[in-house]
Formats: sequence, C-alpha cells, structure tokens
Amino acid sequence: MLKGQNISYAHQGFKILSEIDFSAQKGKMIAIVGPNGAGKSTLLSVLSNELEKFDNILFKEKTFKEWHKGELSQHKAKFSQQYNSDIPLLVADVTLMGRYPYFENKPSEDDLKAVEKAMKETDVFHLKDRDYNTLSGGEKQRVHLARVLAQLDNDIQNKLIFLDEPLNNLDIYHQYKILENIKKFTQKGNTAILVLHDLNLTARFSDEVFLMKGGKVVANDAPLNIFTKEIITEVYNFPCTIFENPVDKKPMIFFGT
Amino acid sequence: MQNKLSLYIVISLLLLIGLAIVSLYMGVYEFESSFSEIISSFFVQDSDVSQTDQYVFLDIRLSRIVMAILIGSALAVSGTCLQGMFKNPLATPDLIGITAGASLFAAIAIVLGAYIKPYIPEAMHFSLLSIAAFVGSFITMSLVYRISTSNGKTNVVMMLLSGVAVTALGFAVMGLLIYISKEEQLRDLTFWNLGSLGGASWTKNGILLAVILLSYYFLIGKGKTLNAMMLGERDAMHLGIPVERTKKQIVLFTALLVGTSVAFAGTIGFVGLIIPYILRLIFKSNYYIILPLSAVLGSVLLLGADTISRTVVAPSEIPIGILTAFMGAPIFIAILLKQKRSL
Repeated sequence: MLKGQNISYAHQGFKILSEIDFSAQKGKMIAIVGPNGAGKSTLLSVLSNELEKFDNILFKEKTFKEWHKGELSQHKAKFSQQYNSDIPLLVADVTLMGRYPYFENKPSEDDLKAVEKAMKETDVFHLKDRDYNTLSGGEKQRVHLARVLAQLDNDIQNKLIFLDEPLNNLDIYHQYKILENIKKFTQKGNTAILVLHDLNLTARFSDEVFLMKGGKVVANDAPLNIFTKEIITEVYNFPCTIFENPVDKKPMIFFGT
Repeated sequence: MQNKLSLYIVISLLLLIGLAIVSLYMGVYEFESSFSEIISSFFVQDSDVSQTDQYVFLDIRLSRIVMAILIGSALAVSGTCLQGMFKNPLATPDLIGITAGASLFAAIAIVLGAYIKPYIPEAMHFSLLSIAAFVGSFITMSLVYRISTSNGKTNVVMMLLSGVAVTALGFAVMGLLIYISKEEQLRDLTFWNLGSLGGASWTKNGILLAVILLSYYFLIGKGKTLNAMMLGERDAMHLGIPVERTKKQIVLFTALLVGTSVAFAGTIGFVGLIIPYILRLIFKSNYYIILPLSAVLGSVLLLGADTISRTVVAPSEIPIGILTAFMGAPIFIAILLKQKRSL
C-alpha cells in the first residue's frame, strides 16, 4: 500500500534520515517510536509527501507525482503535530475544512454529516458553535483530529492516515478514545501510521512498530518482538523492565530500576 | 452561514445601487430635466434635454461614480487577498508599501515618460502609466513577500518594516522628481500623492473593468483556499490545495489591481484595511464570505467617501485620501492594540 525504499534526507547539511526502507500493509496500525531527534516526524513528513520530491515512495503503486492532487486528498490525510492555534473561525467551520476536497461552494448533506460524525468521535461536537481561539490546547487538537477524520470519510477502500503525536495534550480518556477510533478505522482495511511516545499504548494498540534512533530504523516488527528489555534499554539509554500486561497479555514496560 | 452568502451580497448590492442614485443627485450642478428624461434622451433622437444635462450626467457624475465603484472594489479585494496570503489583518497594499511602489513607478513614468516614449512601441504609449504602476506594485510585492516570509510563516514586523522602507524610498524619489519636474508634471505628481477620482473617464473605466474581471476570475473564488491556508501551508496541501500556485496568482493579480487603481486615481489608502476589518467583526475570518462581500462593500465605502469629498466643501473638493485615512487610521490602531501580544 505504501512503500519507500532507501529514503535519505538531509537538511542544511545535517543528515536526518539515512537509508530507510519502509513499507505499510493495508489494515495495519503502525507506530513509529524512538527517542527525541530520531527523525520520526521527518520520516512521517517524507512519507506523506510534504516535501514533494521523493520519487522512491510508492502509494498504491504510484508515485505521489503521478497522483492527481485533489484525488490524493481523498485517499490520504495527515494530522500535524504543530497546528495553528490562531484561527479566527467557529469550531464547526474549522472541522468543515476536512470536507474541502469534496465540495466546490456549498457543503452537501453528506459533508455536514461526516463533520458531525467526526466531531462526535473526537468528542468536540458540543463545542461546534464556539470560537476556535477560545479552546484549550487539548480541545484544539481534538478539533484538528476531527477535521482529519472527516477528510477520509468516504467509500474509497484502503485509505491512509498519518498522525504525528496525536496524543499530546490529551487526557487519558481522550487518548484511549482517539486510539480506539483509529483502531476501528484500520480494521476496515485502512492503514494508520502514527508517531507515538507512550510505549505502553503503542504495545496495546499497534500491529507493527518501527523503532528509530539517529535517523535509522533500529528494529521493525510486532511490538511483542521489539519491546524487550535489551532493545528498549539500549535505544532509550534508560533501564527498564518488561512485564506481561495482565489484561491483554501484551508487553508492558516499566522504566527505572 | 454559507447559505446566507447570496443574501448578504444582494443586500449590499442594493445598498450600493441606492448610494449610487443618491450620489448622482449630489453636486453643484442642478439638472433641468429628471433622470428618466435624461436617460431616455440617450436613446431617442431629438429630445428636449439640454446637452449640458447629458454631459454632466454621463461624463462627469456617472463616470466618476462607476470609477469609485470599480476602484473601491479592487482595493478592498486586494486587501482581503493579501491578508489571507500573509495571514495577518495588517497586510494591506498601502501598509506593506505596494501602493508606494506603484506610485513611485507611475511618478517616474510621468517625469521621464517623454524620454522613454521613443523606445517603446506606439501602442503602449497610452497605457504607459498603468503598466509602470503595475510593474512597480509587482516588484514591491515580490520583494516584501521574499523579505518577510520564510517557510510559509510571515514575520509581521519584517512585513511592516519593509513597507516602511519602500514608502521611504518612494518619498525620496518623489521629492527628487518634484524638484526636477516642470510645472505641468508637478500638478500630475501632487495628484498621485493625495488621490482623487476627479480624472474619471469611460476609457479608464473600461480598462479598470477589464482588469477587474480578469483578476476576479482567478481571485474571487479563493475563499475556501484562504480559509485552508489559515491551517498552515502544509496542512492546506494535505487538503489538496495548490498553495504555491495560489500565492503566485494572488501576488500577480493584486499587483495588477493595485497598479491599475493607483495609475488612475493615485494613492487612496486604507480601503483594503477598513473593509476586511469590519467584515471580520461580523463573520470572523471566514474568507468564503468576506472575500466576495468585500468586493461589494469596498465600492460602497469608496463611493460614499467620494460623494462626501466632492459635496462637503463644494465647489471645491477634499482629497479622498484624507477621508479614507480618517476612517482607516483608528482601525489600524485598533488592530495594533489587539495584536499587541503577538507582535
């Protein structure tokens, strides 16, 4: 579904990504984890075609250049870590932007329904008539998540969503709610690629993990095979112990000695 | 809110038409015949309406009213588009120096025109002034955007300061030109600095209309695009918005609008600041609504200001730039106060 070979990227002479091979299958929830400065966000940027110059990335067997721009935005979407916090519009109008690829001048009934559904999924529907600028950080973030979910609400098969640290600023309830929604989204044959920081949530929800350090992929496998005491202690440079999660038998990481 | 756009447009159009009719009556000259008689006299042979009536109606009042409508609209739309592109309500043609750039080149064309003319094709002589003004505004706009924006983020201080720099350069060159210019050119130059619709004619209106129709074809539907660009340019790209192409179109066509307006009416400031500001108070920054509405309300503002400027001290005139500055400067201060924290 998404395939990139030998991806390298340098910015101002500084090597950020080196020789990364990446592939994502349909129906998978894939997490990119690693310490600060590992190149996680840059990799996500590159994979989602923000830099617009990589010919060695294939999305559904086509390079991004071969895609029609308008069509592409109905197949893939991205939630960015740095969103603008000053948008003088109503919350409903910000979310409606997710439907811009679908209507010319006037949103259709379907567009409004998709917006409403997405807002309920991220729990911001009750804020729809509020000024976006008056919301808290976590609420703003959920508005943008709703916008991105609304963007991919269509009948197309095997869609792709990128999320760069979608759980920042969110409380426990909303962290789980967002991850459960994304999980549901992937169970319909779609793919999600997320940058996450919380390894325990990663272990619980993701099907596959890319563990990065220093611009390289150190390990790529199911969380069970990667989250071992040796690998995590070495990559994060911090001692840890791994338990078995009593609820779902997934690995559970306890940091410290 | 999206559905009511056509309603708002209709209401403001009615307002504009009403104002235009009132404005036709205002002035020193009193018509002998009624408007319906004058209008029908243009179509019927041998009517008893006097030639003076016809002349004042068509060539003096109506042509000036139409010019006010066209230039007001052009200035307000270019202000709104620039604010969308720079993502800041202070980005208007006058504050960031585009008007100054345009009048600078226009002034050069007036004074040096006689020397340049032999070297350019004959067909361009007539429009030399508007072309010079367009080139001036285009160069300034590209320069200011280059200086103040990097990675899609605008540094507001840099944006305003580069406007100050271009305006200062404009003043210096203008002073020099006034010093070396002959008396006839001097009158033309003073006119640029103050701004006036007194030079209205149907030929100018025709050129303005053509420029406006062409520019609006590309610009007026950009509401959704400008909304999405508030998310940030990368996020707009993920929504399928051609960000780079949009920015190029805005630079080109606002330069064209501002350049032509300056060439025909001199520097009339603040229209591009006042209208979007008022619309934002009501509709927030929803460009889908405020962009088309500013096209109509810019006309209302300038037509109103021009009617006042030529009637209050009749038969003399207050330069229209003074009136718009009286309205615009307090709004400029209001926006500054509001942005105090982020500047």
